[in-house]
Amino acid sequence: MNAVNKDKLWTSLKSKYSIYMVLLALFLISWLANENFVSAENLMNISTQISVGTILAFGQTILIICGMLDLSSASVLALAGVLSVSTYKMTGSLTLAFLVAISVGVICNILNGLMVTKFKAPPFIATLAMMTMARGAALMYTNGQNIYQIGGYTVFGQGRVFGVPAPILFMAVLLAVTWYLLKHTVFGRSVYAIGGNEEAANASGINVDKIKMRAFIINGILVGIAGVLFMSRINGGMPNGAIGYEFKALTAAVIGGTSFTGGIGTASGTLAGAFIVGFLDNIMVLVGVNSYLQQIVRGAIIALAVIYDIWAKTKRTKRKLGTVEAK
Amino acid sequence: MKKWLVITLIVSLMATLLVGCSQPAPQQAPTPAAEEKKVYKVAYIARAQADSFAAWLANAVVEEAAKYDNIQLEVFDGQASDDTENSLIENAITNKYDVIVVQPNNGEAQRPYVEKAVAAGIKVITTNARISNIPGSSSVDADPYMQAKVNADLAVKQVPQNANVVVLQGPPGNFHADARRDSWQKEFFDKRPDVKIVGEEIANWNKDEAMNYMETWVQANDKIDAIIAMNDNMAAGALEVIKDNPKFANILAYGVDGTAEAVLLIKEGKMTSTSLQSAYDLATSILDTANKLATGAEKEINMDIDCPLITKDNVDKYIEMHKKAGAIK
Amino acid sequence: MNPDIKLRVSNVEKSFPGVKALDKINFAVRKGTVHVICGENGAGKSTLMKVINGIYKQDAGQILIDEKVVQIDNPIQARSLGISMIFQELNYMPEMTIEESLFVGNWPKDKYGKVDWKEIRKRTVELLEKENLNYNPETKLKDLTVSDIQMLEILKAISYNSEIIIMDEPTSAITNKEVEVLFKKIYELRERGTAIIYISHKMDEIFRIADEITVFRDGTVVDSRPKEQYDLETVITQMVGRKLENVFQKEEIPLGDKVLQVKNLTDASKFKNISFDVHKGEIIGFAGLMGAGRTEVMRALFGLENYEAGEVMINNEKVRIRNVRDSINKKMVMLSEDRRRFGIIPVRSVKENVSLSNLKKFIYGGRLHAEEENQTAADLCKKMNVKTPSLETTIESLSGGNQQKVILSKWMVTDPDILILDEPTRGIDVGAKHEIYKLMMMLAKQQKAVIMVSSELPELIMMCDRIYVMAKGEITGMLTRDEFSQERIMAYATATKTQ
Repeated sequence: MNAVNKDKLWTSLKSKYSIYMVLLALFLISWLANENFVSAENLMNISTQISVGTILAFGQTILIICGMLDLSSASVLALAGVLSVSTYKMTGSLTLAFLVAISVGVICNILNGLMVTKFKAPPFIATLAMMTMARGAALMYTNGQNIYQIGGYTVFGQGRVFGVPAPILFMAVLLAVTWYLLKHTVFGRSVYAIGGNEEAANASGINVDKIKMRAFIINGILVGIAGVLFMSRINGGMPNGAIGYEFKALTAAVIGGTSFTGGIGTASGTLAGAFIVGFLDNIMVLVGVNSYLQQIVRGAIIALAVIYDIWAKTKRTKRKLGTVEAK
Repeated sequence: MKKWLVITLIVSLMATLLVGCSQPAPQQAPTPAAEEKKVYKVAYIARAQADSFAAWLANAVVEEAAKYDNIQLEVFDGQASDDTENSLIENAITNKYDVIVVQPNNGEAQRPYVEKAVAAGIKVITTNARISNIPGSSSVDADPYMQAKVNADLAVKQVPQNANVVVLQGPPGNFHADARRDSWQKEFFDKRPDVKIVGEEIANWNKDEAMNYMETWVQANDKIDAIIAMNDNMAAGALEVIKDNPKFANILAYGVDGTAEAVLLIKEGKMTSTSLQSAYDLATSILDTANKLATGAEKEINMDIDCPLITKDNVDKYIEMHKKAGAIK
Repeated sequence: MNPDIKLRVSNVEKSFPGVKALDKINFAVRKGTVHVICGENGAGKSTLMKVINGIYKQDAGQILIDEKVVQIDNPIQARSLGISMIFQELNYMPEMTIEESLFVGNWPKDKYGKVDWKEIRKRTVELLEKENLNYNPETKLKDLTVSDIQMLEILKAISYNSEIIIMDEPTSAITNKEVEVLFKKIYELRERGTAIIYISHKMDEIFRIADEITVFRDGTVVDSRPKEQYDLETVITQMVGRKLENVFQKEEIPLGDKVLQVKNLTDASKFKNISFDVHKGEIIGFAGLMGAGRTEVMRALFGLENYEAGEVMINNEKVRIRNVRDSINKKMVMLSEDRRRFGIIPVRSVKENVSLSNLKKFIYGGRLHAEEENQTAADLCKKMNVKTPSLETTIESLSGGNQQKVILSKWMVTDPDILILDEPTRGIDVGAKHEIYKLMMMLAKQQKAVIMVSSELPELIMMCDRIYVMAKGEITGMLTRDEFSQERIMAYATATKTQ
């Protein structure tokens, strides 16, 4: 019994906390590699740089746990962002601009949700369609040009509160919100159940369509906020901005332990995944690694993360067979 | 399963309509009143509407074409896809356009199709960036080497001795990015061996990527004397990071394109110089060339437009230009 | 050396991390015999079969075919050595069609080397006709019931013409008529000299079909004898290591008011004019052949499917149940036939599976009350005797019987009045079955109403107060306890409705 217990403890430790151990190891290696890495300013920079992608990743995490995903998040971010910037230029109201961004994010995601629940479209296809439509709409609205001279709008992405950059605070708050939703609400448990086995969740009394819509709407709010932060940080309403960010978000989620087969994932894991990528990007620049090599390294990390995920799952299944056959 | 197939089709149809509708207002120049004057059909095949420079150029071409009553212009969107652009070239050949203007997505991919057009007896102009060495075709371009050189010449004089500089590159394998970097190498770095590059990364023309790199470079280097960027977007991104930092108050910054954002930064004294890649000038030259080719006045034209250097001394007239275009209020 | 012996297992051992699953296993299977292997869940039977079938590699010992040592590295090699296995946990691809699944991995090729679909169609149609199965070869597996799929699995193994066929609980999901067909085929194979290894829990079956019986317990062979030298009590005692009352004694329970009344429930293609009622404290059974429509009726009642006409009354109040949550709110719950598909969330913990249907009980006031959830799960698992390393263990690690008990616990948390149990003891060993029967008795004593759909007539006869019998979508008869007999039930199950 003791041998079995110790073995189980180590395995569960390994699976639950492995991502944080990797993060810690990376932190220490980076510290050794370049003295500038651990300065407060550098660490805050990294946190700011990953903030937009991580906020998108929180939305992805919820969706992937639920058995879905969102390929449209970067495009909707751009649409929400340019409309928000435009609103500010027209009205001078930061509040209104912020609300517009969130509304656009929510509306686009309601459409995503309807395609998935009412028309039974696979989320991959539905959000792929939205990805093209939202980007097209952003370009149409701005006629392909960037919106400059956005004045006070930069406060969201460049402002500081007690010396801490605003995007970091947004990210922290949204981390807490996502964690709370997943752990302390009926909605969160339902998301895990649907992702783990949709038919069983339905047969257990969960209103699958309602929960899926809600997941998309929450994603929409996160995407809208990300749009504000992005445009505000780069000081312009750029319809072509953030191209590829949906994959940044997926990467952080997957590295952080969110499983594509559904039913597994955490907000803090996703944050750790985002930081792993952020640390890597930062240290490679500080040390002066060749640009092309950087791209290879980034791709290798994703491959490793996915392979580890599958390996861990196979191990778990092998253990399962072992336990069943034994007493 | 069939239901979503229908939806996907409807949705892609809508998407195509939206993208198609995103073309700017005057799509076609008005056809002239019935006269004996021959009207020439000109096809302008843009590489993408999504790229802000390409959009600017397309708008400018349409506006310029309106001035010619013997030219009927139609714009086509290559949607940043080689396949799409190549099909559009073939369609234009089939529909017997008199002149085809091609803004390639990828020069080598469009080369065989341009050759086909020439073989079919159609006048072809390639632009931004030209496809060289196609006998029988014409071209109008801005020379990216020159665009960088005018800035590099200034930098040779301005950059202090033993300076630390950072370099921001465009997408790998991109003709303009490579040519500009090559120019900086030959016209600046080779002439100023005392200058040290403390950071060089690929920021893909993007402002946010440039910002991220600059933030990190600032952590590692107390002294950075100049930002050398292959386009204005990236220069602006780097400047955004240090705009309130007194340590870098006197930093020099060089870009290319002459965007509205850049001219404003030059006026504010934050950016040192840029060179204009004027879509208006390109458009004027393209239409002029098209007209000359169509009427038979010339057989083949290969030309470059100017790339004027913009600095604090002459920035005002370019601010006016952008104001007139509505990019600056 | 014995020319009679087809397959010999010699000193085979197999361990997994922390557990010795097989400990010096020795036994032999003769040609042309049916060799039954029985034992409780976890005794090692499935592990040994997986070793023989090439899914696992033994740590020590040998497998001999025709008294020659063989190396079995994977199932394909096993198949080429003449070994074929039909699994208990059906692995199937829902999108595959019948004809595809029959020939998967074994495609007949035409003269160009391409898959010969004409030949496949021909052979499939032949096979289906011979077995009297009325299916379109293009039907997708997801549209078949569990019992259909198992039938096909058996057909596939037979079509490979293997000399050693292993059947792991083959009758767990098929009704009596199909069992007869299967047994007939097994006798045929036996005549031909095939060695058949048959794993089963069903005592009456074992004694019918076996030539020899081997009993497993805790990873070892307890004993191996010809059937004639065994009796039921001895087998069970050897299996569980203790004397066990095989026949479950049902107690008399006073019945209360009618709690559920169903009138003329109809859904065109599936069932017609279903009318029945259930009293508090009553256990009623639903018997019938495969395809009779019992599961369809229950799914409609529970809100998983729609129905076109009819009335449902709970506690004398008319109700319209449109989805599962409606049914739960009306205190009626259902344990599905296919627990892997409809019962469990495999990657989540035992605890989370227990609280799944009544989350509001543990998540309120803006937060999760983890201690309450833990306590509830712990209490129920203790009461139901769920064997699990911890509440945090993922439920897919548990055996079938324990999973079933967790699912039952889940429903208990919703405090139901009416429980529909669809094949509750399928794929579960004797010991666990008894626990489920005990639980059913306890529920009835608490004045709950239990509806049991089952294909095991002995079980129905043992547990129920009344049995409704369905055939071809209609109720053909109802028997009270004093009228119970297998013949009468079968008569109704094969009849067409006269009135």
